[in-house]
Amino acid sequence: MLTIENLKAAAGEKEILRGLDLQVNAGEVHAIMGPNGSGKSSLAHILAGREGLDVKDGSVTFDGRDLLELEPEERAAAGVFLAFQYPVELPGVNNTHFLKEALNAQRRNRGEEELDSVAFMKLVREKMELVSMKPELLKRQVNAGFSGGEKKRNEILQLTLFEPRLAILDETDSGLDIDALRTVSEGVNAVRSEERAIILVTHYQRLLDYIEPDFVHVLADGRIIRSGDKTLALELEKKGYNWITDSEAA
Amino acid sequence: MSTTAEQIKSYVESGYEHGFVTDVETDIIPPGLSEDVIRQISERKSEPDWLLEYRLKAFAHWQQMETPEWSSVHHPRIDFQKISYFAAPRKKDGPRSLDEVDPELLRTYEKLGIPLDEQKALAGVAVDAVFDSVSVATTFRKQLAEAGVIFCSISEAAQEYPDLLREYLGSVVPHTDNFYAALNAAVFTDGTFVYIPKGVRCPMELSTYFRINASNTGQFERTLIIADDRSYVSYLEGCTAPMRDENQLHAAVVELIAMEEAEIKYSTVQNWYPGDEHGVGGIYNFVTKRGDCRGDRSHISWTQVETGSAITWKYPSCILRGDDSVGEFYSVAVTRGRQQADTGTKMIHIGRNTTSTIISKGISAAEGQQSYRGLVRIAGRAENARNYTQCDSLLIGDRCGAHTYPYIEVKNPSAKLEHEATTSKISDDQLFYCRSRGLSEEDAISLIVNGFCKEIFNELPMEFAVEAQKLLAVSLEGAVG
Amino acid sequence: MNQSEGTLIRRLACDHQPAEKSRDENPWLRVLKKEAASWICDLPLPNRKMEAWRYTPVEFIDSTAFTVDEEAPFEALDPSDIEELLLPGSEWTDRVVFVNGRYAPGLSDLKTGNGMTLYTLAGESKLPSGFKRQIGQADLSDRFFFTLNNALMSDGAVIHVTGQSGARRRLELLHITVGMPDPVIHNPRHLVVLENNAGLELVERYTSLGKSSYFNNAVIDIHLSEGSELLHTRLQEESELAQHLSHLTVKLERQSHYQQVSLAAGGAWSRTDAQIIFNGEHAHAELDGLILAGSKQLNDVHLEVLHEVPNCTSREHFKGLLSANGKIVFDGKILVARDAQKTDAALNNENLMLSRSAEVDTKPQLEIFADDVKCSHGATVGELDPEMLFYLRSRGIPKAEAERMLCTAFANEVVSRISESSLRDHAKRMVLRRLASRGEAA
Repeated sequence: MLTIENLKAAAGEKEILRGLDLQVNAGEVHAIMGPNGSGKSSLAHILAGREGLDVKDGSVTFDGRDLLELEPEERAAAGVFLAFQYPVELPGVNNTHFLKEALNAQRRNRGEEELDSVAFMKLVREKMELVSMKPELLKRQVNAGFSGGEKKRNEILQLTLFEPRLAILDETDSGLDIDALRTVSEGVNAVRSEERAIILVTHYQRLLDYIEPDFVHVLADGRIIRSGDKTLALELEKKGYNWITDSEAA
Repeated sequence: MSTTAEQIKSYVESGYEHGFVTDVETDIIPPGLSEDVIRQISERKSEPDWLLEYRLKAFAHWQQMETPEWSSVHHPRIDFQKISYFAAPRKKDGPRSLDEVDPELLRTYEKLGIPLDEQKALAGVAVDAVFDSVSVATTFRKQLAEAGVIFCSISEAAQEYPDLLREYLGSVVPHTDNFYAALNAAVFTDGTFVYIPKGVRCPMELSTYFRINASNTGQFERTLIIADDRSYVSYLEGCTAPMRDENQLHAAVVELIAMEEAEIKYSTVQNWYPGDEHGVGGIYNFVTKRGDCRGDRSHISWTQVETGSAITWKYPSCILRGDDSVGEFYSVAVTRGRQQADTGTKMIHIGRNTTSTIISKGISAAEGQQSYRGLVRIAGRAENARNYTQCDSLLIGDRCGAHTYPYIEVKNPSAKLEHEATTSKISDDQLFYCRSRGLSEEDAISLIVNGFCKEIFNELPMEFAVEAQKLLAVSLEGAVG
Repeated sequence: MNQSEGTLIRRLACDHQPAEKSRDENPWLRVLKKEAASWICDLPLPNRKMEAWRYTPVEFIDSTAFTVDEEAPFEALDPSDIEELLLPGSEWTDRVVFVNGRYAPGLSDLKTGNGMTLYTLAGESKLPSGFKRQIGQADLSDRFFFTLNNALMSDGAVIHVTGQSGARRRLELLHITVGMPDPVIHNPRHLVVLENNAGLELVERYTSLGKSSYFNNAVIDIHLSEGSELLHTRLQEESELAQHLSHLTVKLERQSHYQQVSLAAGGAWSRTDAQIIFNGEHAHAELDGLILAGSKQLNDVHLEVLHEVPNCTSREHFKGLLSANGKIVFDGKILVARDAQKTDAALNNENLMLSRSAEVDTKPQLEIFADDVKCSHGATVGELDPEMLFYLRSRGIPKAEAERMLCTAFANEVVSRISESSLRDHAKRMVLRRLASRGEAA
């Protein structure tokens, strides 16, 4: 589904990705781990189409299409979803209204029929139960005044609502306590399927106890330097990142 | 690094006096202002022709201008024909010993921690013994010379560095800029000239103390500081000791030029005589100060602590011309008695990605009136400009006034500006809390006011900050109640 | 003082004599107008050197040969003609309609009694002398346009509300301007007086039929007696070619309450000159305003909040939304007099610029002469937050739509302060219309 070849990217003068390769197929869960500053979040943001990160070389193909050519909203309609590490607040924008507009925009873009208010509310309530979110949060403004955990849950709600083909979760576990972590993971696991691919960007092993990955990659210094299965994550936990970066250097 | 205080002390002890004595004729040009007077001034200083031309051009322009009138500052009309534009140092008429000096003044000096000899010098007491002051001053000049830094008076610069002077003089504040700038350009007596060569970090903080003839700060001072590419200089102006001067009107001009990646830090602590309790005899301080961030990534910051002056009218400004340039303005202004201060800053954003920060703290006590007048202007092509402004006023007593007039003009949508202003007083709760912990009311006020001004004091070079804090305490004495 | 400026309009005022057959049968009004007409002969036209007109050009007043509508009121309109201008679902309110500055009883719908009385300046019913005095005491000083209104006014409403138990009265003061072949200047002059403990919801609207060119130079004075309360919604929906100047004075007596929500969308040149004056203690004023300035529009809000007495609170929050080459001028001053201790005043101006060629000049001011006070102001200028835009787009919302959502959120902070739902919906539509049209010129 997703093929990244020799991706090189920079933020202004600073080089961030130095030739990254990755292949993700439908039905797979990939974890990308790495020390701070390795470029994990940047990779996630580049896939979602954020400005400020310039792709210098390489290619990203999604379902046979050149992903880098598409605008952010087109990528969303194509089925790419990024759950942000720090979701921004939108004062004055009602959460329900926002979710409905977004979902319908995506459907419209894909040539699907839009949902009317009644159908939408029914759908959203179903999904809210999946993530154990309080219904009041639907009436509030998007992320404004939400606790850290509530913001993350709002992201996962969107995940379950938009049903993307490729879900990228950027440090979803950061700042969550055990219960919140469990709930969020349940939400993610609930959407695992043969047609869907998930990329988990994470620093710590902990999340992977709840969401079992098929592949684990280590991103360091702008490149994927090691790939393996879930046991790799356990080794990293024990030995730390230096173990890999040192051995790669050697 | 800086042992400014020590240096001051030793310099003073070894003979302030040298700064006063001029060997040539010490007569005064009689009061009055005319082309003739200007020619005389220029001749006395042996100035090159081009400088005389500059003065005359400014004078011609000044004659066509009207005295400015501002709505919030009131003063009796100044008779420009009654001022003498070239006078020998006033030392001759000074008291013969400290006994003859106003005890109030001495008490102030003590509170400010000024050593006895310096007190004498400041009070204008003649120092009899001849000291070898040259050695101290020479040490500084040697250090500076090694670094390639030029630091001398404008008069000297006219003789020794005429090309440099000519290139930059009046390039930031042209004589056409305003009434007092024109007057200053015509009759400026002397001032400071600083040039920092490329890549040089000036090894010490430059101060007006070290310039010979420092204490003879004339009415119409002119300062020009040029920091060439990648250089740095920190300049201190002023003195915490209350400065008296028979000359009421002070119309100085300060021009700063920062080239690529250069930084100029200009700090002022001023305590001009504010006049008696009826506001009579105080100094009128009308100054035009402007910094030109000419080069990309250049940085100019103005820090000032102003107390004193009967009337203050000054707006240190920054023209942010170079891309990524930064302008800063930090100010504490105290007004009490019948003082009036109309002060603030102008930040003009022209280049791309420019940033300006304005933090102004005003303290009004008794019947003082204080206005902050600021301008932040974002030109059409100033992409991504950023400005943050915070103006806070602290009112002590119910007869004073604090006013804020910020002008914000934006012609580019990528700019991001935030402006905030608050007005408050020292609450009875705060005072009571301090006093219940053992502080006297005066100390409590001092503590709270210092907290209020902390951000500004942090910007001052260390010794200046200490002096400024003392100055603040002295200025507010007896202000409450 | 350059007397040659403003000669056209000055001559109009100086020479203007009420026509013999006009409805100006009130001699007191005639005297007032004559005095103002002679006063204006010496007043300088506002110009850039005057602080209050620093950013706002007034060339139009000198370059346009305005006339005054001397004819009898516009009788040619009947209710069906103005259907489109009426607020949907507005049976909840009484309505007083002014067409081209004159009262149109045929289009109005007013149930008198129940504490509310309407007089008109040009009307036949006798205006109580107290009100005559209030109008006559106007301080002309150096206010050019205000004096112009005094010299040329032809009609206006005097709304008198007494304290009553029962449901609060609601009134819509609807101005409709019908374009004439030549540019006309209309000068409605209104007075609203609430007696002790009276309450009123007033909706003041300025609209037009068709796109025409005219100048509405309106004055509205409001007196709030002890304990009274006024909810004031102002909607400026003038023609895009028109000039609009609204002088508003609100005097608050002890324990009175003034709440205003305003929305300005129309006019090529529009200005509000407002003064909120606290005359009695423990009074409270709150103003929320949204200013929309789009293609070829200038909108100027000049506001003075005068705390003359202690213990009053004021809150002003104005938001500007600029598109195309729109220009906004904001000047808001809080003045606290020496004895006005325990004043609590805050003023805020936020501006959102959506295009390269827009311009904002904002100047929030504080003049504080008392010390035991809490006063603050703030001003911001910026554009749409790229973080927020990206978030919306990453969720599939197209760029234009995402921008619209954020602009609507910005505007809603003010619009949501309108409590009456049909009114609020109307305001929302005004905003949406503006956002839709901004695609024209960025």
